[in-house]
Parts: sequence; C-alpha cells; structure tokens
Amino acid sequence: MTKLLIDRQFPSSDSIASRRNFNAILDGLPKKKTINSPWFYGAIGFSTVFLLILLNFFM
Amino acid sequence: MSASLLYFDRFGKPEDEFAIIERAKRNPEHFAPLYKKYHEAIFRYVIKRVDEEESAYDITSCVFIKALTNLPKYEYRGIPFSSWLFRIAKSELYQSFRDKKAQRTVSIDSMQLGKVMEEFQLDESEHKREVLLKVLPLLKEKQLQLIEMRFFEKRSFREMGEILELTENNAKVKTFRALTKLKELYSKYNNQK
Repeated sequence: MTKLLIDRQFPSSDSIASRRNFNAILDGLPKKKTINSPWFYGAIGFSTVFLLILLNFFM
Repeated sequence: MSASLLYFDRFGKPEDEFAIIERAKRNPEHFAPLYKKYHEAIFRYVIKRVDEEESAYDITSCVFIKALTNLPKYEYRGIPFSSWLFRIAKSELYQSFRDKKAQRTVSIDSMQLGKVMEEFQLDESEHKREVLLKVLPLLKEKQLQLIEMRFFEKRSFREMGEILELTENNAKVKTFRALTKLKELYSKYNNQK
C-alpha cells in the first residue's frame, strides 16, 4: 500500500549540499579486475607466451 | 513560465554537458561537476518517494555510482543526461522497495493537491480533500507515478516521457487516463459516503 505524506518538511538545499561526497562515490565504484592467476604471471605463463612467440617466429 | 521552459532553465542545454561526459568516460574524477549539478535534484526526486531521509541519501549515492559505472555506455540520443539519471533513480528506487520491502511514499503539498482538485472542478472543502487523499493510493503504481510527476512535481510531459521511457504524446495520453481513473474512483468513493 502506498503511504501519502502531506506537507512534509524536506531538508534545505544547504543541508543536502553538506551531504555531497564525491570521493565516497568514487570509492563505491567497482574496482577494475586484475589478473592474479599464477598461470598468467608465473613461470608457466611466461614460458607459454615465450613459446608462442618463438613458434610464431619460426613458422 | 511553462513547465518545459522551467525544465531547461533548471538543467541547462544538454550540449553543455557533452564535453564533461566524454572526459568522465575516460576518467571518473571528471564527473564531479555533474555530480554537483544533479545531486540535489536526484535527492529530492528520491526523498519524495521514500519516508526516511537516510535511505534517500543512500539511494542517491547508489544512483551516482551506477551512473558512473554505466557512463561508458551512455550516448546522447536526444534524451538529456538529467533524464538518464532520473531513469537510474527510478530503477534504484524500485530495487530498494523490493530489497527492503519498504513502502512506497507519495509526498504531497496541500497547494499541489489544490491543482488536482481544480482539474476535477472541485472546490477545496475538507471533505473533498479527504476523499481525494483516500482514493489516490488506490491507483495503480504507473498511474500514481504520472499524477505525481505531473501535479506534485510539475514536470512537463516531455520530461515525464523521457524519464518514463514514453513519447511526449504517450505521457500526455496516459496522464489523462490516470486522471480519468482517479475521477472514477473519486465519484465511486464519494457516492458510497
């Protein structure tokens, strides 16, 4: 059921402005995903990339 | 001054915002001027529909976080940026009603209620006001939304259409139908008394 509120008092413009916090908005943004997998950065990952480059070079 | 003139006075011309939006798409920190410009308007839109001030501040923050997250997808296609923000606010509000099982609130100013009574060609007697207030919540959500935006928030049909994703003409027609429904409910309730 909808609630009706008559002649309600709303906060003033100054009071609303005092609650503005752009840094909180920036902090609330989803963080960009970083790749943490050892397969990407580890020895296996590097050697796979190296092998692919090598294969590409000789073929 | 007409409602549509007020609309553009309030938010300026959409072209003025393009450069800021393009910069903010690359770096969210550039969004600050738009946040400052629209924060109060979005907050007032939200607080009229929820009864707790703190919830209204939280929902407003969610609106701007969502807007910034989705900003790379925003393209100007004739819909002002302000209306895009109000659309996000509308969806965040309904999400909040669902999540918190909260009650939908309609905030009415006595003066604005007088405008609805004028539309009904009713004189402002206490009894008639009471009947009108009793039947308003009986409208369907979409109808109530139209009455609320047109009479209690004084929005133009153009702005209403942009926020509700309707054409200007469709917003006009649907508002007329909502008023007709309200009149029907009013007569029914008034005759029962």
